[in-house]
Amino acid sequence: MARSQADVAATALAAGLACGAAAIGAPTAVMTVLGLALFVAPGYLLCQLLVGSNVTGLERAAVIAGLALAVPVLGGLILYATRVPLHRAGWLVLLAGVTFAGDLALLLRRRFGGGAPFTWQLSMHVPRRQLAGFAAAVVVAAGGVGLARIGAATQPQPGFTQLWLSAQRKNEHFLSLGVQNDQGQTTTYRLVLLRDGRASVTWNITLAVGRTWQRSVPLTGSATVAASLYRLPDLTHPYRYVSTASTTVAGP
Amino acid sequence: MTAADESIGQRPAVGSGHGGRDDASAAHSVPVSVVALIAAFGVLIAAAAYTAGRLGHAGSPWADRSYWLGQLLILTPVAARLLSRRALSAAETVTLIVVLTVAEYLVKVCYSPAAFTYADELMHWRTATDIMQTGKLFTPNNLLPISPYYSGLEEVTTGVASITGLSVFTSGLIVAGVAHLLFVCLMFTLFRRVSGSHRVAGVALLLYASESLFASFDSMFVYQTLALPFFGLALLAICRIAEPEAAGSRTGWFTVAVLAAFATVATHHVTSFLLVATLEVVTLGALLTRDRKLAAWASMLALLSAAAFAAWIAFVAPLTSGYLQPVITGTLQGIRVLLSGGHTGAPPFSAANGPLENEALAATAVVIMSVLVPVGWRQVRLRYRRQPWAVALAIGAASWYVIVAVRVFVADGSELAGRASTFVFLPAAFMAALAVIRLTDNSLRWPLVRVDVRRRAPVVVAAAAAAALVLVLNGLVNGWPPYWERLPGPYQVAGAERSVGPEQVASADWALAVLGPGNRFATDEGDLPVLGSYGDQDIVGDDQVLYTSPIFTADAAYLVQAQSIGYVLVDRQLSDMLPASGQYFPVDTNAGRYTRPLPLADLTKFDRVPGVARIYDSGNIVIYDLQGSAYYGS
Repeated sequence: MARSQADVAATALAAGLACGAAAIGAPTAVMTVLGLALFVAPGYLLCQLLVGSNVTGLERAAVIAGLALAVPVLGGLILYATRVPLHRAGWLVLLAGVTFAGDLALLLRRRFGGGAPFTWQLSMHVPRRQLAGFAAAVVVAAGGVGLARIGAATQPQPGFTQLWLSAQRKNEHFLSLGVQNDQGQTTTYRLVLLRDGRASVTWNITLAVGRTWQRSVPLTGSATVAASLYRLPDLTHPYRYVSTASTTVAGP
Repeated sequence: MTAADESIGQRPAVGSGHGGRDDASAAHSVPVSVVALIAAFGVLIAAAAYTAGRLGHAGSPWADRSYWLGQLLILTPVAARLLSRRALSAAETVTLIVVLTVAEYLVKVCYSPAAFTYADELMHWRTATDIMQTGKLFTPNNLLPISPYYSGLEEVTTGVASITGLSVFTSGLIVAGVAHLLFVCLMFTLFRRVSGSHRVAGVALLLYASESLFASFDSMFVYQTLALPFFGLALLAICRIAEPEAAGSRTGWFTVAVLAAFATVATHHVTSFLLVATLEVVTLGALLTRDRKLAAWASMLALLSAAAFAAWIAFVAPLTSGYLQPVITGTLQGIRVLLSGGHTGAPPFSAANGPLENEALAATAVVIMSVLVPVGWRQVRLRYRRQPWAVALAIGAASWYVIVAVRVFVADGSELAGRASTFVFLPAAFMAALAVIRLTDNSLRWPLVRVDVRRRAPVVVAAAAAAALVLVLNGLVNGWPPYWERLPGPYQVAGAERSVGPEQVASADWALAVLGPGNRFATDEGDLPVLGSYGDQDIVGDDQVLYTSPIFTADAAYLVQAQSIGYVLVDRQLSDMLPASGQYFPVDTNAGRYTRPLPLADLTKFDRVPGVARIYDSGNIVIYDLQGSAYYGS
């Protein structure tokens, strides 16, 4: 392909590579680069087709970006109307389809319609010192975002434990009894199941951080089922309490 | 579109008319890359202040001061350089605007760098997550029912997330950031075409950054953020159509305008409405300047946009009228009462505005803008009266005084005024920029000031920069996050982002996993956005009566029955802390009047209500199931 069609080749290549990478399950980093290129390609081609060489510089970049954002908005509606699920395959078909169609239209226009060929002009000269300044700014700002992320990840949060006892959606004759440890450390509990206020079953549970313990509890007759969770070594005060009906003796 | 005969923006304080000093001066001025580096350090310092807040210093004065130091490092060099008497090239000007926009966006990202926490962002996160999971549009969103019907933002975001494999949060940040920057660049391009001066465009964008939603709502993961660049692209395309040099590409530009207008319609209701209104004002400006070509194109696009918006409301999003009607009706009613000589009951500055210094800053900013706009009008009359876009912007700038009046005098007018400010500030900032450029121009003969031009210029520029800083700082001080949650930190009852903690998210996740989506839930102000988004539950807004009595009253029973409330989420911390936002509940008759936390007995009474099950307990949060009680569904 001639150099004057380099943009057509580049956009088609971006679309092809993105589809190929998606097909082989390329990692997120690769898909991010190719995916973003695939998003930009239809915008570039539409800009070339609609306003051609009448725009330059910032205005051109803005029109390309605006059209690139409009394509998935309007294309998504078309996908939905044609009952194509808005998942990866659907989006790839849409964006790659628009890109290939745009490539073909641009190619034909340049061959037969007198469209301006692709030219590459980098008129702006930025001194090295300036470039170094901008690069340093990017690094410092990225450091700020990194610092904020570290701060959010290390923010001290009070630990907690979740206890639940609720009807199962799929089987109303059973209750779902569960405990999840979010205390920030491995924790040992004693869980006492009560039927009409009397201890029915007792479990001693040790849970690592983020782990869940669950059981199905049969719901028999009209008995009130409750569960008291103790955080060892304190066996005097219930740490958490749940019940299928109100009791005069409330929880902790 | 070219500028007026002689653009005022071409002549800085000491300009080319003074022996061509500009080039030499520019060589000695602070390079734009250094300004970018200083702004980057501003981001770093603001991020450090946020981290200090998270580590328990949210209330400390030095952390707060660090945040403002960071903001000053971002704003001051940019403002000083844009208003400087040393000439800037177009590339330098746009770079400064990009630096300002990106730096402020990064500060916003640093506030919530791991997940969306702002209520409106959570609403749209829910819609995007639903599209990711179902592959379908228009899935119900209990928290913001209108959101799925204007899903442009979520479409682009889920497209990016699906293809790249990035999370919805990361994809949303990318899309919102690109959209925000794109809008600024489009407005710069448009203002530059209208004024014929990149300097006017640069100062206009600097002043536009003082709009209180610029660094927050207009760059958040909300539908307006994406609709704005489509709005800007449609305007730019119409601007280009009428130019003589666009003769060969008018159809192309009109297609761009139509695509942008349709994308606006599919993305945001208010922006769609204001696009039509703006095009009508442009038509009026064109008619007044006898530019029939522009009038024809603009009115044609206005008609098409209006038809598309009407069709969208009729066939896709009939909820729109009901969603917007209460705000519009309330404001119109307030205006009617005001015009008929009554008092609407709106205090000039509500308690929600915060400390006195914040209100003073807001008042100063209003005065500065209100003074600058008429000066800008005069410049339009003198220099741009044959320029249709400048005339249209001058007409549009009158809306500045309308929203000031609505905000000050109309009860509940702040909602409408706040929403409108994004759009009203565009013409107002342009007028103010014309004024600032004129007032800092050395050709101006100041009455009473008889100082040598060279000695006066730095003072004038410094005054202009100070005024610009006051405006932009006002936007930040009285924008988002609110003063009571300026820094992130420990959990706050009925706060904003600080009410989104791990325990709240865990309870919401549990509700979705175990109870399923769409249950009628009662909850408090702080837990509402989390339970509605992560939990996908249908929240009852007016539920105060359930939480403010030690016994289960007849009113509470009636509410449960009338609203079919199946579950009540009780956050026991409501009895530990006063509400950060001033109100415990979404609709709170005691808002701003609480002097002590709610009594614990008011919250634990559900333990004693017959038939009510206590199904979830995480310590602070307890969820009750009311479906077995005598009140539910009877």
